[in-house]
Amino acid sequence: MSKNNEESIIEVKDLSKSFGDHEVLRKIDFEVKKGEVICILGSSGSGKSTLLRCVNKLETQTSGQVLYHGKEIRNVQKEINEFRSRVGMVFQSFNLFNNMTVLENCMEGARKVLHVSKEEAFDRAIKHLKEVGMAPYINARPEQLSGGQKQRVAIARGLCMNPEVLLFDEPTSALDPEMVGEVLNVMKELASSGLTMLIVTHEMDFAKNVSSRVLFMDKGYVVEDAPPEEFFTNPKNDRSREFLSRFIA
Amino acid sequence: MGAILSISSPNNIFEWMAFLAEKYSSMFLQGTWITLYVSVIGTIVGFILGYIVGIVGDIKIHKEDNPIKKGIIKFFKFICFLYVELFRGTPMIVQAMIVYFGLRQGGVNINPIIAGILVTVLNTGAYMSETVRAGIKSIDAGQREGALAMGMSPMQAMFYVILPQAFKNIIPEMANTFLTNLKMTSVLNVIGIQELFMQAKTVGGTYYKYFESYLVIALIYLVLCVAFNRLFLFIEKKMAGKKDYVLAVEYMEDKQ
Repeated sequence: MSKNNEESIIEVKDLSKSFGDHEVLRKIDFEVKKGEVICILGSSGSGKSTLLRCVNKLETQTSGQVLYHGKEIRNVQKEINEFRSRVGMVFQSFNLFNNMTVLENCMEGARKVLHVSKEEAFDRAIKHLKEVGMAPYINARPEQLSGGQKQRVAIARGLCMNPEVLLFDEPTSALDPEMVGEVLNVMKELASSGLTMLIVTHEMDFAKNVSSRVLFMDKGYVVEDAPPEEFFTNPKNDRSREFLSRFIA
Repeated sequence: MGAILSISSPNNIFEWMAFLAEKYSSMFLQGTWITLYVSVIGTIVGFILGYIVGIVGDIKIHKEDNPIKKGIIKFFKFICFLYVELFRGTPMIVQAMIVYFGLRQGGVNINPIIAGILVTVLNTGAYMSETVRAGIKSIDAGQREGALAMGMSPMQAMFYVILPQAFKNIIPEMANTFLTNLKMTSVLNVIGIQELFMQAKTVGGTYYKYFESYLVIALIYLVLCVAFNRLFLFIEKKMAGKKDYVLAVEYMEDKQ
C-alpha cells in the first residue's frame, strides 16, 4: 500500500465544482498512478470534461484539492504553470497555434516554458513527430492539415514537454470516422510505451482494450472505478449497465 | 511639373494650380514633410499605447487572486477606461487646443509639433485600444487554453500566441487608422503647426486663390493615401503567408 502511494502522480481529493447553482462535480476522489491508462466514460453532461479541466486547473474547483506527488497545487500562477508543464493536455478541438508551423508548435513549449536549447527542442520535436507519423509535415501550418493530422501533431506537441501524465479531452470527438483510427493507433502505442494517460472518451473499444482502469461518471459523481474487464463484463452500478447496454450488441 | 510649363501669367484653374505648386513648392514640400512626420510618429507611438491599453483591458480578474493584485489591476483598468472614454468622446481639434494651450498656461513651453504628436498619439491610442481588444477577442479561446495548458503564463500566451494572430487580423483597421491620422493632422493648424493645410491657407492668401491652393493639397493627400494604402495591402499579403508548404522528404518513412 505504501509503495502504491509513492507512485501516485496525481491525486484528486474530495473535489467539487459548481457553475452558479449548477453542481457539475460532486466529491470526486481518485488517483492516477505511474503507467496507468485511465479512461473516463459517461454520457454527455456527466462532468467528464470539467473534471479533466479541473485536474490541470483550466477550471478552478469550488472545493477539494488536486495533489501532484502528494503536494497540493494551490491557486498560485507559478505553481499552476509549473504543474501544467509536467502534465500535458490534448484537446478535442486540437488548439494548435495557428500562427506557427507544425515544427514551431512542437518546439514552442520546450523553448519558452522549459527553456531547453534550440537544438534540443528541435530534436524532441522531430522525435515525437516521427512517432505520430507527422515529421514530413514540419513546414505545414495547422490550417493545411486534416483533423486527424492536427490531432497527431497536438499529441506530439504534448510529448515534447516530456510530461509525466498526458490528459486527453475527447481527442477523437471532432474527427470523422476514418481519422479516428489514426489517432487511436497513436494513443495505443503511447499506452504500450508506458506513458501515463487520463482520457475522456466515447471510444468504448479503446477503453475496453487499452485502458488499465475505467472511471464511469454520472451526474457529477464517479459511480464506478474498476478495471475494464470488470466494468465491461460485470458493471456494479445500474447507470453503468444502462450506459453499456447501448454499446454492447 | 510647374518648371516644364513655366507659367508666368496663369489663366485657368489648372494653370493656377501649377503656378502655385511651382512658386511655393518649398512650402508644400515642408507641409507634406510635417504632415508625414506628425502622422507617422503619432500613429506608431499611438499603436504601441493602444496595444498596452488593449492588453490591460483584456486582463482577467480571478476570484482567487489576492486583494492587492486585484486592486492594482482594477486601478489600471479604471485609468485606461477613463482615458479611452475621454479621448473618444471629444474632438481631436478641441484636444489639440486644450493640450497645447493648457501646457503653455501651465508654464510648459511646448513646441507645437510635439504637442501635435502628443495629441495624435493619445487620440490614436484610444481608438486603437478598442481595435486591439476586439482583435484579441476574435482569437478562438482554444488558442489561449492550448498555451496555458502547456505551462505558459497568461502573458506568454498573450505575446507568443494570441497577439501575433490578433495583429494579423487588425492590419486593415490599423491601415484605416493611419490614413485617418494622415488627414486629421490638418486640424492641427489651429495650434500653429505648419502642416499641409496651414501651408495651403498661407499660399492661397497671397494671390487670393484659395480654391486652387486647396486643390493642390487635396491632390497631395490623395497621392499619399493611395501610396500608403498600397503599402498596407502589400504588408497584409506578406503576413498572410504561403498557401502551400514543402514536405520534408528527409523524414518520409515510406521512401525506399
